Amino acid sequence: MRLAEVERGDSIRHRLLIRLISRFAGYRLPDAARLAFYDKGFAGPALGEWTQKAMRDPGPWSVSERELMAAVVASWNSCPFCVGAHGAIAVRGVDPELVSAAIADFRTAPISDRLRAALVFLERMTKEPDRLSAADARTALDAGLTPRELEDAAAVAAVFAIITRNANALDYEIPTAEEFDKAAGMLLRRGYA
Amino acid sequence: MTTPTRHAELAERLRDRVENAGVLDPGLRAACVRIGAGADAEIAAAHRELAATIAESSHRVTDAQVAAVREALGSDRAAFEVIMAASAGAGLRRWDAAMRAIREASDAVG
Repeated sequence: MRLAEVERGDSIRHRLLIRLISRFAGYRLPDAARLAFYDKGFAGPALGEWTQKAMRDPGPWSVSERELMAAVVASWNSCPFCVGAHGAIAVRGVDPELVSAAIADFRTAPISDRLRAALVFLERMTKEPDRLSAADARTALDAGLTPRELEDAAAVAAVFAIITRNANALDYEIPTAEEFDKAAGMLLRRGYA
Repeated sequence: MTTPTRHAELAERLRDRVENAGVLDPGLRAACVRIGAGADAEIAAAHRELAATIAESSHRVTDAQVAAVREALGSDRAAFEVIMAASAGAGLRRWDAAMRAIREASDAVG
């Protein structure tokens, strides 16, 4: 973590909360959660609200599918923290081997055709946003996605374009696999907002 | 037309918070959003370099880049706003592109 105030908390209340949650959970509170406590007067709560809707609102994509999308987007953005964190949540609802295969190469992974079609769109959105066009959306719709499904998937990629950059720029400490697994349970219970 | 959802509202709320809240000079913050979105802006070299690295390859951000902006601005909070503004610029650029593509494809059919 490159900014000490983000790591320790910017108020007495948040410092105490960070310590208490870490003690209760039995592991260092991940930096993503520390960031969620930080600078509440700025943009964090708005990002948290959008992330909560994108990742947890009822919709056409399951929570695990959306977490898998997040992990794949994170791999494109070279964000090991987010690959670990969101891969750990995805495996709560999807075969772990499938999650690994999708992160390695979603084009050959044994995932559904609709998820693959969404990831084709998200890949261009993430890597070549200036080249993203109606033709890319048409390809996804022709593959059977509805505009709502495509928009919901795009929201996942948009919020993780932001979250992964924050994680990388601040150099989040990478938890162990066991800590990622514990944090996954917390994120499933408590969400992102 | 695409099915109306609240994603668009939440994207605009985030855009508004990044542009209008915070402790940093609004002009500097707006410049960081533009650089995060792939455009250019005339700001101090340290801020520009950090925002551009976040936009293009955030995993290449260095301790020295963040420390330089932290030192120039005088607080963790201000340095954080540079980082968040650049990141949000990158995300909102992609969201805008996706919505434009989906809308055009849907309108062509509808």
